[in-house]
Amino acid sequence: MTVNGSRWSGDVPARQTLCDFLRDELELTGTHVGCEQGACGACTILGDGEAVRSCLMLAVQADGMELTTIEGMGEPGNLSTLQAAFLRHRAFQCGFCTPGFLASAAEILGSGRRYSRRELRDMLSGNVCRCTGYEPIVEAVFECQR
Amino acid sequence: MAEHGDQAMPLAGGQSLIPLLAMRLVRPGHIVDLSRVGELQQVSVAEGRVSIGAMARQRDIEHDPRMPGLVRVAVPHIGHFQIRNRGTVGGSLSHMDPAAEWPAIALALDAVMVAASVRGRRDITADAFMIGPQMTSLEPEELLVEVVLPMRTEGFGFAEVTRRGLGDFALAGAACQDKAVVVFGVGLRPQRLRVVEDFLNRGGGTRAEISAVAASEIQATDAIHTSSHYRRVVAAALVGAVIEESQARGGVA
Ligand SMILES: Cc1cc2nc3c(=O)[nH]c(=O)nc-3n(C[C@H](O)[C@H](O)[C@H](O)COP(=O)(O)OP(=O)(O)OC[C@H]3O[C@@H](n4cnc5c(N)ncnc54)[C@H](O)[C@@H]3O)c2cc1C
Ligand code: FES
Ligand code: FES
Repeated sequence: MTVNGSRWSGDVPARQTLCDFLRDELELTGTHVGCEQGACGACTILGDGEAVRSCLMLAVQADGMELTTIEGMGEPGNLSTLQAAFLRHRAFQCGFCTPGFLASAAEILGSGRRYSRRELRDMLSGNVCRCTGYEPIVEAVFECQR
Repeated sequence: MAEHGDQAMPLAGGQSLIPLLAMRLVRPGHIVDLSRVGELQQVSVAEGRVSIGAMARQRDIEHDPRMPGLVRVAVPHIGHFQIRNRGTVGGSLSHMDPAAEWPAIALALDAVMVAASVRGRRDITADAFMIGPQMTSLEPEELLVEVVLPMRTEGFGFAEVTRRGLGDFALAGAACQDKAVVVFGVGLRPQRLRVVEDFLNRGGGTRAEISAVAASEIQATDAIHTSSHYRRVVAAALVGAVIEESQARGGVA
């Protein structure tokens, strides 16, 4: 598989989830794990450009896929446009939900369509945030639509 | 599957099976990943029928203009788009959550479910397929390989009530195609409302009258978030709404 642009190959235990593999094996701990049952969205990453729950995939299922985690989206001093918008709008406080929101938003923005705030609110409802009240998150994503 | 029988479980999109495994609610000896079986991903249209391979993803179906109208309006209600990116039509039907959209769609459209094992293929009616929560008439070594639906682009209606808009499972829902009426998320499996259908066939009535007939026929059970009374009342109201919607869409009800 390819993770954040680097090839990785090896054996993984068949029972290991993709989020555990990313965190424990590759030490990419930016992928957060909340509910482990698909509901909270904290573990969302990009698999072949689509937002997927890494807690609901086995690592073996990612065989041959191209994965992007938060570590591959930008870095301090070189933030992505979306990350910069999150910062400007104060779209995070504790930051636990942020990597998942950025993955979901990346797929939404990747579609190239312009959504209304109302539509974005619906589309972002698969990610839970306990801190911000969502307004700044919706604003940040809205602003990044061309 | 033939070799391991009830010790083996197929893995489709994993959006229901992985949590069950994580919570140790199922402990299969073997998991059979269906994702590389290309044949199961096919969608084809012929003679007024749409045939959907079990491994077709919800996300692809949702945007496929060849789908019947009821499928196109109901599938976006399944979880969030991240769930639909992985979840499959066959997984949803086989998992048989009583509040899931696919079993209701299948029942309203009189879908034919095609099952296969090393012993051969057989057709199962939607009604005979669904037994109860997480229970279908598939044999342990059988796979659901295909679901066949009539191509209908008019006369359908769909509505559900959830706790938080899109994404959550329905607290109560209703679907109809012409005079075929189904409620889901109210009992142990989706229910075809034959008394309501008879009422419509005899000329029907006002929306309120239809809902009243539905209320007396719906078999509701209590659930975590809802009482059986709530589910019956809400589902009956939704039945009236979906029939009105289907008539507005050129239905023959
Ligand atoms: C947060 C969240 C919200 C959700 N909300 C909804 C919702 O609102 N509505 C809804 O309908 N669903 C919802 N789901 C469930 C989702 O749609 C699942 O994807 C679906 O129920 C199962 O499909 P799957 O492809 O992921 O199957 P899997 O999870 O891989 O399998 C489910 C079960 O079916 C069996 N199975 C799979 N394929 C076959 C086959 N071809 N033949 C025989 N057996 C098979 C498996 O062995 C397993 O027992 C939600 C899930 C999550 C995580
Ligand atoms: S940890 Fe994966 S969705 Fe909550
Ligand atoms: S910033 Fe704390 S959960 Fe979203």
